Amino acid sequence: MTTTTSLYDQFTALYNERKGLNGNDWLQNLRREAFEAFKAKGFPTTKHEEWRFTNVAPFLKEDYSLAPAAASLHEHKNAGTIPGLDAYEIVLKNGLLNEDINIPGIKITPFRSAVKEPAIRQYLGKHIEVQKNGFAALNTALFENGIVIEAAQNAATDKPIHITHVYNAQEPFFVQPRILIIANRSSRIEIIESIFIKGGQPLFVNTVTECYVAENARVDQYHLQTTPDNAHLVNFTQVEQKADSLYNNFIYTLPGATLVRNNLHLNLDGSNTESHLYGLYLTGGSQLVDNHTLVNHMKPHCLSNELYKGVLMDQSRAVFNGKIFVQQDAQKTNAFQQNNNMLLSDKAVVDSKPQLEIFADDVKCSHGSTVGSFNNEALFYLKARGIGETAARNLLVNAFAFDVTNKIQIPAVREYVEKLIAHKMAETYD
Amino acid sequence: MDNKSADILEEYSDKEYEFGFVTDIEMEVAPKGLSEETVHYISAKKEEPQWLLEWRLKGYHSFLKQPEPAWQNFELPKVDFQDISYYAAPKSKAKYKSLDEVDPELISTFEKLGIPLSEQKLLAGVAVDAVFDSVSVATTYKETLKEQGIIFCSISEAVKEHPELVQKYLGSVVPHSDNIYAALNAAAFSDGSFVYIPKGVRCPMELSTYFRINTENTGQFERTLIIADEGSYVSYLEGCTAPKRDENQLHAAVVELIALENAEIKYSTVQNWYPGDKDGNGGIYNFVTKRGICKGAHSKISWTQVETGSAITWKYPSVILQGDYSSGEFYSVAVTKNKQIADTGTKMFHIGKQTKSRIISKGISAGEGQNSYRGLVHVGSKAEQARNFTQCDSLLIGDRCGAHTFPYIESKNKTATIEHEATTSKIGEDQIFYLNQRGIDTEKAVALIVNGYAKEVLNQLPMEFAVEAQKLLSISLEGSVG
Repeated sequence: MTTTTSLYDQFTALYNERKGLNGNDWLQNLRREAFEAFKAKGFPTTKHEEWRFTNVAPFLKEDYSLAPAAASLHEHKNAGTIPGLDAYEIVLKNGLLNEDINIPGIKITPFRSAVKEPAIRQYLGKHIEVQKNGFAALNTALFENGIVIEAAQNAATDKPIHITHVYNAQEPFFVQPRILIIANRSSRIEIIESIFIKGGQPLFVNTVTECYVAENARVDQYHLQTTPDNAHLVNFTQVEQKADSLYNNFIYTLPGATLVRNNLHLNLDGSNTESHLYGLYLTGGSQLVDNHTLVNHMKPHCLSNELYKGVLMDQSRAVFNGKIFVQQDAQKTNAFQQNNNMLLSDKAVVDSKPQLEIFADDVKCSHGSTVGSFNNEALFYLKARGIGETAARNLLVNAFAFDVTNKIQIPAVREYVEKLIAHKMAETYD
Repeated sequence: MDNKSADILEEYSDKEYEFGFVTDIEMEVAPKGLSEETVHYISAKKEEPQWLLEWRLKGYHSFLKQPEPAWQNFELPKVDFQDISYYAAPKSKAKYKSLDEVDPELISTFEKLGIPLSEQKLLAGVAVDAVFDSVSVATTYKETLKEQGIIFCSISEAVKEHPELVQKYLGSVVPHSDNIYAALNAAAFSDGSFVYIPKGVRCPMELSTYFRINTENTGQFERTLIIADEGSYVSYLEGCTAPKRDENQLHAAVVELIALENAEIKYSTVQNWYPGDKDGNGGIYNFVTKRGICKGAHSKISWTQVETGSAITWKYPSVILQGDYSSGEFYSVAVTKNKQIADTGTKMFHIGKQTKSRIISKGISAGEGQNSYRGLVHVGSKAEQARNFTQCDSLLIGDRCGAHTFPYIESKNKTATIEHEATTSKIGEDQIFYLNQRGIDTEKAVALIVNGYAKEVLNQLPMEFAVEAQKLLSISLEGSVG
């Protein structure tokens, strides 16, 4: 068995091997800086406040290959599709886009060709604090594949874009996709991302997504995290919002991946912005689902609203850390955050840390956090009306999740998520 | 904000400390610095038994080993531990039998603070164990308490007279190695209070100690130990004011509470130490470790604090809920203005079944003050039906202050119910307008609103303290307008 040290060494070797290959200076500098940051700190440990409850070491011990055999990928028709969803379908195989997609007003380019364009320079890696985020640093230093989605000014898609990440894990491997979303002034994009894994071997996916929402633009992002249990997902999403923009993020994690770590950072760098973050984690087995969000209010008159709900089963563990920063300039800020958890098993553990840091006085900020279980009175009420124990429990869990699922604005996605929850609950109580 | 309220705001946020004066009393001061010899010196001065000296030395060694913490939400000022004198006692160290024997100047100091010691006997049944710097100078009401078997004395006295109790409980809640400041305290604690309430006794009066830091450069290392035996009840008050000084003074006290079966301890603090001038010079560093344990079933510990002073207030009065059905409470009002910093909150460890805790924290930040609430609610896997409710609100006055909350919630039991809520806002203009309309000027309106905001906590204070606390709040914040 190998240890995290050897993985660290593997990355160092890979970096050194690739060092000279990146043509342009700026990209080389970006990667060097990021790699130095990663090299200095290594993988985060539980001594790091941000990783206090999430020990990644056991998941890094696999003998991961960093460059998977590309050959074994063939078409996966219908893989990871969402029934009834009318969308532009994009399939990324091991992070690689190999067909051109034509969507009016939207340009989708694989990173390999995108990095050659000078315009990308003002976006790529611009706002990610690589010093503070080891995994994001590692991705920045070494990512190869991924896509850039750019919406032209005033462009609006008639249907959402559905990206399916397909991985074929014939051998254990570590993959680092990168996604860059640029929504230019007054444009509108809806993106749904889902993941499909085959092959049966352990997989570690370290994704970084950057999203630029320009003035008056709107971006909706949906993440559906359903994977087999030997997958490990680490996501880092950095969002920059300019004045009058709207950004919505929805993230739904279902039983599967033993490790899920989502970092979602928002910089509200303009007045009158609105941001909504919704999350639902339904965890089972020995899963560890860790959601870290950071909303940084930098300018006045912005609204942010965050609601994360969790249902924990088996020996699973969930971590929630929500940070809200309100800078001194950000007067008239409204910032809300809520995290509710339901523990359905004796062995499940939840760690919740909602956090506010406020430096402006004319603000309305609040957060709430609860941990509990089934309301016995509600159960009794339902049973007294002839509803069986199992059905009653399902009903209560669905009602609990409803606050988050009913925010989904694409009916097909909503139905799909609701079905996944119902299915899981039925499985648990039957 | 109109001009008048701006003036008022300026006046009050700049307001200098009102209780700044220095008492001129001859002091016996140990040479500066901490070493094994100093520990031996303190222990010898206090004629302590061998076990206590050894315990102090253990504390000293763990002090040497521990790094200073780095997780707090402020920049930790460099404290030169070798530049502090670890022992100071008024020279006249004889024990006083009656108040007449006490140095008149000392008495007048207390009177300036509004603690007429000579009148205490007549007042509201409060027994005062006045700690002047480090040595207890007078203990009143001892006789009355003695009749009921209650022990209320200085800790050095308790070491001599009740060594078995002290040895059993000292360091049992806050071990000598708990944190660097607790270790420092273990090594160098000067004096403090000791309370023992025997089985089934309800302490007939509020026990109270007024601390006061006096000698320049003398860190205060108080140690308080309160034991409530089965079925007993005690309410303990601690209040502090310190004279004005330009150099920073470190205060690293330790308070340990032990509640046995069915016992209840209520611990109230009003803290108004010198906060430094408006540029942040001087002021006390108040780094205190306070922890209580509900050892027996159905026991209860309640912390109430009103923190208006100190340059930096850094403490987390905590409760370990070990006994089944035990409960812990924490009520806090923390005010920061000028450049004051408060990083305070609580920890509730739910270990036993059916344990309950309630946390109410109200932070008020004005000027450039920074106020942080940091709390932990931990529910262990055996804490069936544990229940917690937490509310932490922050009020902001002025646009240069800050309010922060860092709650940690950890639950390992599905039958536990935990609720946390926090809000941050400024004083509503509509509230002030409403009161203005009814002929109440802005200054009074703000005092009214702030007192109303903090009422939930102030209500928890015993009568005698509630008045003082309200006065303190008015002095600190009356007239501040957001």
